[in-house]
Amino acid sequence: MPPLNFSIIRQSTQLSSARRGTLAITHAVSETAVVANTQTKSGFESTVRESKKRVIETPGCLMYTAKGSVPHLTPDTMRLQSFGGASVSIEHVLQDYQPAGFEKFPFNLATYLNLQDFILLCDIRDTSKFVKVPFNSDRYVSMVTHQGVRQLTLEDYLKCVRTYEPDVLASFSDFVSDLEPGQKRVRKSVDRSLKWLDQLLMERQGLDGLAQDREADMKKKENQKKNSGEASSAKEPKETTPAPAAVTPKPWKDVGVFAHVLGSHIEDERIRSATETAKRDVEGFIIDATSLAGSKDDVQKLIKTSLDNLPSNKPKVVYGMQAPEDVLKSIALGVDLFDTSYPFVLTEDGKASLFSFGPEDSADAKDERIVEPRWINLWDEEHADKFVPLMTGCECYSCKGGKHTRAYINHLLKTHEMLATVLLMSHNMYQYSRFFENVRKSIEQDTFDQYSQDFMARWGTEPERTGEIHPVAAMVEASLHKRNRLDDDASSIASGQQAPKGKGEKKERVFVNKKEKRLKKQQEKLEKQPSQ
Amino acid sequence: MKSALKWDIVAKCSTTKARAAVLTLPHGPVNAPVFMPVGTQGTLKGITPDQLESTGCQIMLNNTYHLGLRPGQELLDACGGAHKFQSWNRNLLTDSGGFQMVSLLKLAEITEEGVQFESPHDGSLMLLTPEHSMSLQNSIGADIMMQLDDVVSSLTSGPRVEEAMWRSIRWLDRCIKAHKKPDTQNLFAIIQGGLDPELRKQCIEEMVKRDTPGIAIGGLSGGEEKDKFWRVVTLCTDLLPPGKPIYCMGVGYAEDLVVCVALGVDMFDCVFPTRTARFGNALTANGTLSLRQHKFKDDYRPIEEGCDCVTCKTYTRAYLYTVVTRETIGCHLISLHNTAYQLRLMRQVRDSVIEDRFPEFVRKFFKDLFVEKSAYPEWAVNALRSVNIDLMEDSP
Ligand SMILES: [Zn+2]
Ligand SMILES: [Zn+2]
Repeated sequence: MPPLNFSIIRQSTQLSSARRGTLAITHAVSETAVVANTQTKSGFESTVRESKKRVIETPGCLMYTAKGSVPHLTPDTMRLQSFGGASVSIEHVLQDYQPAGFEKFPFNLATYLNLQDFILLCDIRDTSKFVKVPFNSDRYVSMVTHQGVRQLTLEDYLKCVRTYEPDVLASFSDFVSDLEPGQKRVRKSVDRSLKWLDQLLMERQGLDGLAQDREADMKKKENQKKNSGEASSAKEPKETTPAPAAVTPKPWKDVGVFAHVLGSHIEDERIRSATETAKRDVEGFIIDATSLAGSKDDVQKLIKTSLDNLPSNKPKVVYGMQAPEDVLKSIALGVDLFDTSYPFVLTEDGKASLFSFGPEDSADAKDERIVEPRWINLWDEEHADKFVPLMTGCECYSCKGGKHTRAYINHLLKTHEMLATVLLMSHNMYQYSRFFENVRKSIEQDTFDQYSQDFMARWGTEPERTGEIHPVAAMVEASLHKRNRLDDDASSIASGQQAPKGKGEKKERVFVNKKEKRLKKQQEKLEKQPSQ
Repeated sequence: MKSALKWDIVAKCSTTKARAAVLTLPHGPVNAPVFMPVGTQGTLKGITPDQLESTGCQIMLNNTYHLGLRPGQELLDACGGAHKFQSWNRNLLTDSGGFQMVSLLKLAEITEEGVQFESPHDGSLMLLTPEHSMSLQNSIGADIMMQLDDVVSSLTSGPRVEEAMWRSIRWLDRCIKAHKKPDTQNLFAIIQGGLDPELRKQCIEEMVKRDTPGIAIGGLSGGEEKDKFWRVVTLCTDLLPPGKPIYCMGVGYAEDLVVCVALGVDMFDCVFPTRTARFGNALTANGTLSLRQHKFKDDYRPIEEGCDCVTCKTYTRAYLYTVVTRETIGCHLISLHNTAYQLRLMRQVRDSVIEDRFPEFVRKFFKDLFVEKSAYPEWAVNALRSVNIDLMEDSP
């Protein structure tokens, strides 16, 4: 049994299926992570956070990571947040590590990424967005790494698990990345995923789950030989025994498995996937809504179909339902875990969230019945002279004590300084965690249904994102790649003068393909220049 | 003139001209010799003010030219200066803005009135005078502000160098007159005179008479021969009064810092450590690691063994290899390390001066960095020999 324990503290007595619980790693691991360094009189001291017990309060969040780090936040700043878990996508971290090179890897993934004090979930794909991949087969799934599309086999995935040793592993599943797949494709994806899940669970027990694949491959080869010519097959002795397993399977019983439930938009398949998956020995379930087409209501219905056919005592994760009103609707259906891709997306747009969930707000909402803006865009010139925090009363790193102001962050964005996203991310992550905290409190106090309604009335729904390139994404891109225009040195203003801001950026984007080449040249040039 | 600083020399090296001091400024003490990281736009490359404090940084630099453009003087006045604007409660130093203009703007033209340049925003003609520079720096409110000087490239020679030197003296007088807050902000003079010892002497003689709280050596680090560079530095430190901090502008490579401390310099600044971080270059006592290189992909050591920065305590070179130049935190993490490295180097230098073992420190420093004596830069060997450290001598 994996040392993963989900317990429901309170089930809402109201109409909704919302529940308050905890997901905890029960056995005592006393791993430590360096949290911050502080200078004292006697030198430097490291603050160390011990993690005897790791817990995620639910409904709650796993921190979304990019290449194994919470975007923009260094480990010390990240730990000012209060999330208990993190999710890492294999397609982000695998990159040029061939699974074959894993023998050299001297840690598990949590130590490597300095996430020892969090409950770590590993999945294959990026959970924050929908990216279409070419296709999957009976033997592999496609994933999008930094170096392009790669194929990952179940065998590779098992190597990842054994090396990375996450606390929770998402099942290896045939994720359908067509927005409107046909019934046949959906049926196949459910079948394949169930077969892979069985193989995965066998391997977890230390059994050879891949034997049937090898046998099948062998038969296929023989058939091919037979068909290719009688003459040659007659000469060769017939192979009857399957090849032995390449490695003796090592069990990994400490890793919890959360199984993906699939079925796309086809109700029967969703039901079949959920009921069949529920029969397996898994610790939780994942519903990926990133590729579900249709209105938000349609998607909620599809999620509900899955949830209705899953056991209530196990935790459920949903991807792609991160905007606050979607979170609330999903919680009402009985979802327990989300990720923090929403605050990340806000940050990438240069926005700071203003919404909150809870009693004080309800009173205001009743009086005014006006939908308030749920965020402000710090690119807006109106903030240039606002020497006030992003949000009044916010206790996040940026706002606390009026430390950093809207005016300063507006300045940082305009000057393409990376501290902008650090401060925005700190605020947005903090407010997102506050939102969940208040949701949990309201479930405990049986006010969730009421406050959810108030929330929708006050904050409305997420407006459409506009603009083809998000300013911060462009800025980050610029500061990481197109350094000459942004540097402190001679070339910055000089080239800024030659190419006015808008034009320059547009031009650069056209030459994306030549980026690598140009980047190298720029670096060489800049490095040759003397200091100052 | 008035001074808003205290300069207490704690120890002097018995071999070289190095000294350890405490420079007390309006926003707290600064242990000298000191390296000042450059936060051009009112921020240090993604590092939070708290993180910067935790590296032990006591003073940071902002650029007047950039802050004058954005957020601009009006907003700086409105929020009460650059300390408040960027939430940095320790000391700040600002340059005059002149250097940036001359080096960044091709069309800058210098007249007796000031530096004339085309606005990078709308192309209109603008003029930076000593009075305007002082007014801007008073609005920024830095603990140390620099006079506007007539900057000529250190590669220039002939009468232009002399003209610039005399003009810088005249501009210093105008700056002193225009400086509105001498009780809370310290104005530093900048010695000019190119590579000509006579001009430098004359400049020092005149500027010392003005009695500014501190003095900078300007007009260097512009690509001149290093052997000429150190000779100007040592000439200046010989002639400058011992009771004032000496600041050598734009110096930041580790070996330059160590040599200049030996020659008697107290303060330094440079964009190099944070700029190079963005290319994935990490500074160590054994040289620079270019973490973009494939060879680091299975290197599970920290950037530098024994480094006390957050980066080295938490991440391996292999991990940094995967994030540098791809994720912003790659930059943040290496900037943090490089800043910590630079400040630690200065602390080590200072401790060795206080314990009067600076020459031993210098020897070890060069051995760690260059390994073979044949690789030691000749100018550094010469410079150190002039202050009684012979790097070529076999050490015990
Ligand atoms: Zn905040
Ligand atoms: Zn370090």
